[in-house]
This record gives sequence, structure tokens and C-alpha cells, in this order.
Amino acid sequence: MTSPSTFIDETDLHALVDGELDPDHRRRVEDHLLINPADAALVEAWRRQNAALRAAFEPIALETPPLSLRTAATRAATQSPGQIETGATHWGRPGATPRPRRIEDLRVRQRRQAILISALLLVSGLALAGLAAFVFASGRSAAPPGPVVGAFTQGYVSRAGLTYATYTVDAHPVEFDAAHRDELADRLKTRVGFSRIPDLSTQNLHLLGGRIVPGASGPAGFLIYERADGGRIGLYFERAVFAVAPPAPKGGFGVTAIEWRAADFAFVLVGPLPPDAMQEAAERAAAQVAAPTP
Amino acid sequence: MRLNSEILAALSEATPGLRRYARAIGAGAAAAVADGLVQSALQSVGARLYARELRPAGPEEARLEGYIALTALAARKCLDAPPPGPRHPPIAHGLAALPFEERAVLLLISLEGFGYDAVARIVGAPRENVMEWLRRARRSLSGDVPVTPAVETPRPHPQAPHLRIVK
Repeated sequence: MTSPSTFIDETDLHALVDGELDPDHRRRVEDHLLINPADAALVEAWRRQNAALRAAFEPIALETPPLSLRTAATRAATQSPGQIETGATHWGRPGATPRPRRIEDLRVRQRRQAILISALLLVSGLALAGLAAFVFASGRSAAPPGPVVGAFTQGYVSRAGLTYATYTVDAHPVEFDAAHRDELADRLKTRVGFSRIPDLSTQNLHLLGGRIVPGASGPAGFLIYERADGGRIGLYFERAVFAVAPPAPKGGFGVTAIEWRAADFAFVLVGPLPPDAMQEAAERAAAQVAAPTP
Repeated sequence: MRLNSEILAALSEATPGLRRYARAIGAGAAAAVADGLVQSALQSVGARLYARELRPAGPEEARLEGYIALTALAARKCLDAPPPGPRHPPIAHGLAALPFEERAVLLLISLEGFGYDAVARIVGAPRENVMEWLRRARRSLSGDVPVTPAVETPRPHPQAPHLRIVK
């Protein structure tokens, strides 16, 4: 019969300590230890080593691990990397660097946004250009409406009032006084196209003189008449470009303005006289400018 | 995916043991360093699961992968670990004096309760090498002489890889 120790070596003793033996083999090793106290002591020493190891490090396993450790694998497996809280060096971790595909996705998205914005800008620009062209074309095709004429006809009166306020109070209100009536007529004929100077002496208005002034659409003539008391009225005339305005007297700022049209010219009589006197003077002047040329 | 959730749950349940193993194999290393190793190992396993480079058959194999990753990381990180201080238990001083392979094998078997085959897989070495490292580790820690009769055991191949490169 073979001795139980014949087939027992150190590997069997380690396997006994580590629980790696099947029942039969384990029984043979234990029988061997009964007759070999030295080996039994060795096994006992190894078991004490194991106990010392567990006593030293088992408390660590009983601690509750930090949440970052408990969820580390889950976060990495679901590709939701969290903060590295332990400060450890992570070498070779596959999820440590972002995937290049994400950068490409971002660039593709940015490119698409740029194309979309460019297309929107182009469409809106074309729409604005079309709207502007439509408005311009419709404005060109339509006839000038009434309000525009009104503005320009009102412009004659305003221009006459402005001229009156400018020159009648001036130290040199006229370029050519009554003594140079012929020169005044020549100048008016040349620049304005109308040189007939009304005689308002029947209204106690004597010609002081005249001058060329800026008109609403070209050079205009401005004649100044003076009364015996020093009051002055002005006759403004300019080639009428726009429609005829009603000869209704207009007042304001202490003067009266009466406008009428004759011989393709717009006439405005401006002065501080009472409206009736102004009306008479206007009728007188209108009769003279409208008279046939001798 | 049911299997994936089981795997992740197994890794989460293995975290206390991984921390214990990391503190022991680090010997004198600080607790934060050991926890950093565990976190890196778990993230490595999780990332490989996500990339489908790793398909463990069950929870136990997933736990094994955690120890494989942690051992590989510790092999590089613990080379420059400081020696244990006076506050460490005496067994920690003995562990720090062991070569890394012997320390890892002893801890995986004696502390973590793995079988020899599993340990051979974790350290990436043949079973004969594992047994040799275990014998040396226990002799060094106890100072005992070899048992009688002396049995000639095969020496580990000098060219054999000590640790398998996981990643």
C-alpha cells in the first residue's frame, strides 16, 4: 500500500489552503498532514497569512464606495463620461477622447446652417428688390395726382411770401428801380420770359422797381409797388409748370396773397393791404398782364 | 438590454472588492490613487462594452474583466508607489517587499478568493507560473523553508509574459 505522503507535494498543500482540491484529494492531503507536523505547521502559517490579509484589507470592502466608482462602468458603457474625481491618470481609456465623428457631425451641421442662412438672405433680398421695382414702376406709370399739384401751387404762394418778406424790408429791395424800367423789362424778358409791368397807380401804388428772384421751378420776377404811406406790395410771377390753382386770396402773418394764372404764368400779389384793396389791385394787374400785346 | 444591465450591475457590485484589491496591491499607495485605479479600470471595461470589444458571458466574467483591467493598470502605476508608512499593518510591509507578480497572485488567491485558473487569466500567465509566484510569495511572507519531500516544480519560462496587456 502506498504511503499517503508519496503523492503529496507543496502544490497540494497550497491547493488545500486555497480550496482547490476535490474531496478525495483533500482527504489524502489532510491525512498527510496528520503524520507530517512540519507541513501542517506550514499550512497553518499560510492560513494565518490569509487571515492577516483579510483582517488588514477587508474593512475597505465594507466601506460604501464613492458614487463615481459605482457608476463608472455604467457611464462609460452608455458613453456619458463624467468628471474624473480621483485625479487618476487615465491612460489608454477608449472613451477618454471624443469621437472624431462628433466633430464631423458638428461641422456638417454648421455648414447646413450657413447654407440655410445664405438662402434665406438671398430670398429676402430678391423679395425686397421685387417690391421696390414694383413700387417704382407703378409710381412712374401713374399720372401726377392732385396733392402733388397742390403742393407746387401752394409753392408759388409760399415762394412769393418768402420773396416779399425778404426784399421789401431790405435797404436795396430792387435791382432796377422805376427810373430804369426799360432795363428791368429787358432783364425780366431774358430771364423770366415775361416783361409786362402792370401800372397800379390807380390804386395809389407806384412802381418801386423789380428784380430777378429764385422761383419754384426757375427764375421768377418780383416787382415792388409802394404806397404814399410807405406800405409795399409785391407782384411775383413765374412760368407756371403745373395745373391752375383757384385764385382764392390767402392770408397769414399780416399779409394777403392772391394768385392767378395768365399767359402760362403764375402771378401772386402779396401785400399788407386789406383784402378788398388787394383784390382790386390784383384784378387791375391781371387785366393788364392778360391784355393782348400791342 | 438585459444582459448588459446584468453585466453593469455585476461590475458595480464588484467595486468594493476592487477597491480592497487596489489598496492591497498598492501597498503604500494613497487611497485616492487606489480609487483612481479602480475608476480607470471600470471605465475601461465600460468603454469596451460600449464599443462591443468585450462580450462577457455573464456577471462572473464581467467581474473577472474588472480585475484584469485593474491588475494591468496597477502593474504600471504601482511601480513608483511609495513604501508603506508606520501606520500601515505589518502585512502591508511584507506585501510591498514582494515583486508585483507575486503580490498580485497572492492577493487574488488569498484575499479575493479566485481559483488558480482565474488568476492565470487575470495576470495573463500560465498556471505553472501562477503556482510558482504563489509559492514564492508565501515563503517570503512567512520565512518558512520548503516542505518535505521537496518537489521539483517547473520554472516559469523566462520569456513568458508576466501580464497580459489589456489595453
